[in-house]
Amino acid sequence: MAVIEIQNLTYTYPATSHPALREVSLTVEAGEFVAIIGPNGAGKSTLCYTLAGFIPHFFKGELQGEVRVAGQDIRRVRLEDWVLKVGLVFQNPFNQISGAKFTVYEEIAFGLENIGVPREEMKRRVEEVMALTGIEDLADRSPYALSGGQQQRVALASILVMQPEVLVLDEPTSQLDPIGTREVFQVIRRLAHQGVTIIMAEHKVEWIAEYADRVIALAEGRVIGTGTPADVLTDPRLPDYGIGISRYTAVARRAAGEGLWPAERRLPVTLDEAEAGFRAVEEAHAHLH
Amino acid sequence: MKLIDSIKKDFNTMTLVLIPVAIAINVVIGQIVVLLRLPVYLDSIGTVLVGAICGPWAGALTGTLSNIIWGLLIDPNAFPWFPVALFIGFVSGWCARFGLFRTWWGVIITGFLVAITAAVVSTPIAVYLYGGITASGSSFITAFLLQTGRDLVTAVLSTNFLVEPVDKIATALLAYAIIRGLSRRYLMRFPRAENVLPAESKK
Amino acid sequence: MVERLSFYLERSSPLHRLNPTTKLVVAFTLILVAFLGPGLLLPSLIFLLILTPLSFVGQVGREFLRTTVRLLLPLFAFLFVMQSLFYPGGKTVLFGFWIFSVKLEGVRFAFLTATRVLVMVSSFLLLLFTTHPGVLLLDLTQRGLPASVAYILASTLQIIPQMQAKAATILDAQRSRGLDTSGSLGRRIRALLPLVGPLVFGSLVDVEERAIAIEARGFRSSRPKTSLVEIEDRPLERALRWLCLLAIILALGSRLWP
Ligand SMILES: Nc1ncnc2c1ncn2[C@@H]1O[C@H](COP(=O)(O)OP(=O)(O)OP(=O)(O)O)[C@@H](O)[C@H]1O
Ligand SMILES: [Mg+2]
Repeated sequence: MAVIEIQNLTYTYPATSHPALREVSLTVEAGEFVAIIGPNGAGKSTLCYTLAGFIPHFFKGELQGEVRVAGQDIRRVRLEDWVLKVGLVFQNPFNQISGAKFTVYEEIAFGLENIGVPREEMKRRVEEVMALTGIEDLADRSPYALSGGQQQRVALASILVMQPEVLVLDEPTSQLDPIGTREVFQVIRRLAHQGVTIIMAEHKVEWIAEYADRVIALAEGRVIGTGTPADVLTDPRLPDYGIGISRYTAVARRAAGEGLWPAERRLPVTLDEAEAGFRAVEEAHAHLH
Repeated sequence: MKLIDSIKKDFNTMTLVLIPVAIAINVVIGQIVVLLRLPVYLDSIGTVLVGAICGPWAGALTGTLSNIIWGLLIDPNAFPWFPVALFIGFVSGWCARFGLFRTWWGVIITGFLVAITAAVVSTPIAVYLYGGITASGSSFITAFLLQTGRDLVTAVLSTNFLVEPVDKIATALLAYAIIRGLSRRYLMRFPRAENVLPAESKK
Repeated sequence: MVERLSFYLERSSPLHRLNPTTKLVVAFTLILVAFLGPGLLLPSLIFLLILTPLSFVGQVGREFLRTTVRLLLPLFAFLFVMQSLFYPGGKTVLFGFWIFSVKLEGVRFAFLTATRVLVMVSSFLLLLFTTHPGVLLLDLTQRGLPASVAYILASTLQIIPQMQAKAATILDAQRSRGLDTSGSLGRRIRALLPLVGPLVFGSLVDVEERAIAIEARGFRSSRPKTSLVEIEDRPLERALRWLCLLAIILALGSRLWP
C-alpha cells in the first residue's frame, strides 16, 4: 500500500522566481526506506518539508500538483494534524530542542502533552522510545547540556514518541562528529528493521547503499533517477550533477577502465559487492595462468 | 472581536520563538552595556524589534516578560517596572504600523515617542515605590530639581524627559539596524513584516 | 556574567516542598502589607521576623542575606543621603554642614522607603531561591497561565546562559584582536557594535528552524493539553492562601480608614 503519493509536484518559495521542486512524482510504500540524494540546493530539504506538511502550510508559496499521505490531500489537512502523520527530524540537533523543558524526559514528553495524551500512557511511551534510542541514562539531564549525537537522538525520540506513520529525516547526521553519526545511524538502522516507513535525505552514500530500499536522486529540483541503490548509485551521470558516489563504486570504475572489473558485472556500491567483484577478477586471472 | 483578531495576528509560531531570543538580546546587551560603562541602558532593543515586526501586542508581551526575566535572573527590583517595558513594546509596535520604521528619521521619531511614554509611565512607579530617588545617576538631577523647589512628581518627570530620549532613540536605531540586516525572506515569516519592508517592493 | 537559570538553590527543605503558588501568594501579600500597612516599623518587622527566619527554614539563609545586601546596599546608601538632604517638606533639622542640612522627616522617609523596597526584593528572592522556575511555570500553567507564555519564559531562561557564553567568547576574540573595551567613552561606544552584531544575527537565524521544530511537536495543536507532572497542592496551603487574602484586605482597610 502506498503511504505517500506525489504527482507532478512543482513548488516555488514565496518571493522567489524559480521553483525549488519541478514536476516531482514519487510513491513510497508502507515500511519502505527511501533515500534522497542530490547536490547542495537540489531541493532535498524542500522535499522533506513538503512531506512533513511545512510546505505549503508554514512556508506558504505556490504549490502545484498532488501530495497525499495515507490518501489525504496535503492542502486539505491542517498542519497540526499532519505532523501527527509525518514526523520530521532535521540537521541541526540544537535547534530541535523545544526550550520549553528542563530535562530530557520532559522534553520527550513535550509533544505528547501538546496533543493531550493521558499521563500514564505518556510515561509508558516516553520510556519506550528512550530505550529504543538508547538515551535512558540521559533522562534527568538538561537537553542543552548534551553532545550533538545525544541531542539528535533526543530529537529523534521526541518525534518517534508521537508515533507518526512516516518518519522524514533531513540529513540527520550532517552536523555530527563521527561518534555522534554512528550513534544516530544505529538508531535509524533499528527503526528500519522494525519496518518504520523512513524517508531520508542523506549525503553518505555508502550508508544508503547498505540500508535503503530505494534511492531518489534530485538535481535542480528535478528527479534525475530513481530505483534500487545499486542502480541509482552507479549511474555514471551522478558526478556530473555534483553527487558524491561510494568509494567502492569509484575504485571499481577506475578498475573497469583498466579492464580489471568483470565486464558483465554491475559496479559495486558496497564493500561486499566490491570484494565479490575483485575476487571474480582474481579467479579469472588465476585461470588464465 | 476585531481587537482579539488583531491580538491573535501578532502571535504566530515565529513570534513565540522570536520573543525569547529578543528578551535574551535585551538582557545580554543590557549587561554588555553595563560592562562597557556606557551612559545608556539599551536593554530594550529586542522589545522594539518584536514590536516592529510582530506588532504592538507582541511587543508589549516581550517588554513585560523581559522585566520578569530580569527579575528572576538578575535583580527582583526589575519586577515593578514592567509597565514601562510593556509600553515601550506597545508604542514601538504602533509606530511601525504607522510606517515610522521605513526610514531612519521615522525611527528617530519612534525613539522619541517611546521615550516620552517611558518617562510618563515610570514616573508614578519611581515616586510611589522609591520616593523618587532610584539608584541611577539621573537621581542627582531629580535632587537638584527638588532643591530648586519643584514638587516630587514634576522633578521626577522632568528628569525622565531629560534622560530617556538619548537611550530610546539609540535603542530604536539599533533595532532598525538589525532589521535592515535581516533578509526579506526571513522577515516575511513574521506577522507584521509589511510594517518594515520598503513600500516599493510590497506585493 | 551569570550562567545559571535563576536564583534557585536545590535543597530539601519544607519551604522547597511548598506549592509554588502558595509561595508566590505569600510573597505578594508581604509586599502589599509592607506598602499599604500602617506604621514606620512594619516593613522592617516583616523582614526581620518573617522573611529572615523563613530563609533559614528554607536552608538558604546565608545566600538570601548576602544577595539581599548585594542588591540593595548601593540603593540604600544613595537613598539615605539624597532623601535626608533633599526630602521636600523636611523641617526638623537634625544637623547641618556647609550648605546642606540633614532633616528628620527625610531620614524617616528614607527608612520607610528602604525597608519597603527591602521587603519587596527579599520576598521575591526567597521565592526564587526556594522554587525551581520550571516547577513554578508548571504550576502556573496548571492554574491557567497560557502555554505560550510558559514556553516563552522557560525557553528564555535556557537561551540566556548560552547567549552569555557566546558573548563572552566573542568578547575574548575581539579583545585578542585588539578591541578596546576600556578607555574613552567614544572608544567604548565603538567597541559595542562588533560585539552586538555577531551575537544578535547569530541567534536570530535559528528562529525559523526552532519554530518548525516546535510545530512538529504539536505545539500549535488545538486539543486540550495534558501535563507530565502534577504539582502537589494541600488543603492547608489553600487555607493559607485565603488567609493571605484576608491580610491584604486588612492592610488595605488600614490605609483607607486609618
Ligand atoms: N525559505 C526559502 N525561501 C526561498 N528559497 C529557498 C528557501 N529555502 C530554500 N530555498 C531555495 O530552494 C532551493 C532548494 O533548496 P533546499 O534547501 O531544498 O536544497 P537542499 O538539497 O536541501 O540543499 P543542501 O544540501 O544545501 O541542504 C535552493 O535554490 C534554495 O536557495
Ligand atoms: Mg538541505
